[in-house]
Amino acid sequence: MDNIRKQKIREYFHETLKQQSDGQSLADNESLFVSGRLDSFSMMMFVMFLEKDFEIDFAALDFDVNLIDSINEIELFIDSQVSV
Amino acid sequence: MNLVSKIKDARLGSAGMRSAWAIDENQTLVTWVQTLPGKLTLLAFAFLTLTFTLSWHEALFIVAAMALFAYWPLWRSLILFASTYIVAFVFPHSSIDDAIRGVAAHEGFTELSPATLSYVALVGFSFIAWGLLAYARHHKQSVLAKRPLLTLIAIELVLCLLSYPGVLEGLPRLVIWSLLCVLVPYFWYLAYALVDQRSKDRSSDLFQLGAFHPVWGGASSIPIGKGAAFLRKMLAKNPEEMAITQIKGVKLLLWADALLALKILLKWFFEDYCRIPSVTDSIDASIQHQAYSLSMQWASLLWSVSSYSLRIAISGHFIIGSARLAGFRLPRSTWRPLESRTLIEYFNRFHYYFKELLVDFFFLPTFFRFFKQHPRLRLFFATFMAAGVGNALYHFMSEIELVESMGIAGALESYISYAFYCLILATGIGISQVRMNMGYKPSASFYGRIQSFFVVWGFVTLLHVFSDESRNHTLLDRVQYLLSMFAISI
Repeated sequence: MDNIRKQKIREYFHETLKQQSDGQSLADNESLFVSGRLDSFSMMMFVMFLEKDFEIDFAALDFDVNLIDSINEIELFIDSQVSV
Repeated sequence: MNLVSKIKDARLGSAGMRSAWAIDENQTLVTWVQTLPGKLTLLAFAFLTLTFTLSWHEALFIVAAMALFAYWPLWRSLILFASTYIVAFVFPHSSIDDAIRGVAAHEGFTELSPATLSYVALVGFSFIAWGLLAYARHHKQSVLAKRPLLTLIAIELVLCLLSYPGVLEGLPRLVIWSLLCVLVPYFWYLAYALVDQRSKDRSSDLFQLGAFHPVWGGASSIPIGKGAAFLRKMLAKNPEEMAITQIKGVKLLLWADALLALKILLKWFFEDYCRIPSVTDSIDASIQHQAYSLSMQWASLLWSVSSYSLRIAISGHFIIGSARLAGFRLPRSTWRPLESRTLIEYFNRFHYYFKELLVDFFFLPTFFRFFKQHPRLRLFFATFMAAGVGNALYHFMSEIELVESMGIAGALESYISYAFYCLILATGIGISQVRMNMGYKPSASFYGRIQSFFVVWGFVTLLHVFSDESRNHTLLDRVQYLLSMFAISI
């Protein structure tokens, strides 16, 4: 995934965290959902974002939240889906 | 000083109390707890808090097991497995024995104790579960690996049909029935473990089986702590994190003790002193035209909701508090439910791990597959499948032994009221979810919060008429009863 796309993902989460009054920094390897920093509703919104912006079809996957639990893991996931 | 100011001051005071209670942020304490005297003191405190609800030898065993797990990392899988199965055999759950007893007597096996049968069934189930995990791992395209929940539901249905009176007799029926009785409380643990077989960094089979009704988990059929995948991600990563997690564990256990003491006191006051009837008794009286007064009926309903809420919170806190002693940084199962401002927030705060189970196995698969072009309908339908269909299925399956005693038709008929409860709850939560997606936010002002409290807990309280766990009354009985509480008769 190129840097522009990764930055887009970072900005998405910074905005989401800001909406939840969470101003703490977010590292690329930090757990987003499993740790509870973002809830399952936020995860759904992010899934819809990925479906729209990256045309990923989650119905065709064995979904596991660990696939998208950090920015680094999201990068790997998107790369694997885009190359399929 | 008016009432609003007094309450605001009290809230500021409570913020001060919370700050004083945040001992896990005290670096001196955190450092001390990492020393040998600190560890022993922490464990002693933990033991004392657990003896409020457990026998001393069970409390001692759990604390010892958690300590070994926390401080002996190389042997964690074995420690978890061994301690979980020792608890299963030495401190067994009576629900399995009770379920087996009836069929054992019916088939003429009065000399075999239900306890023995349940032990044998548990060993058999464990080997079968181990085999299923291995199969899912090596056959990733199989139905078991790709659709674990549907497969397990099918297995449970087949076992149920085979053990139905008249299909099989004698020992074969008893064996099948015993396996079913063990599968039921272990169902969702096995489901989580099967899903974890897809992970690249899945836990070992020993750890997976050890997480089935884990040593800290009590009798809950809901995996509090989810499965091995969640547990390994939440395990403390260094000694300081371990110490902080353990201190939080002891704090939560102390809070559970406080809530338990409160529940005991309130139970004495409402049930023994004021003689408030249960909702079941109150409905019975109403049916027999000997209804209690309106104030008694409302008191009965309010106490039933309060008692149930305390029970869920207390059991969850004891389980999570114990798990934190081992270093699992698990979120609380119940977190300030009275502060819920919407129904969806209530659903998240009241019983977090039950909500997560419904999200993992019902919401997400539905959300990914249906109504992708209609976002609001997509969200509503997925929420409905979780809070409605999943909720109903979970509870029906957890009482599957009633099919044996009541017959399929009887079990289904007696379940209509709870199914209605799930329908209304799911609709309310679905609407709440969609409204949140549309940007609706309840007012954060003082009066806004009061309004939210009455809306959320008013809904929950009225719906509680249909959700109490007895199956003694029809849906019509309960509707008539609820309406009578508003002086409406039909």
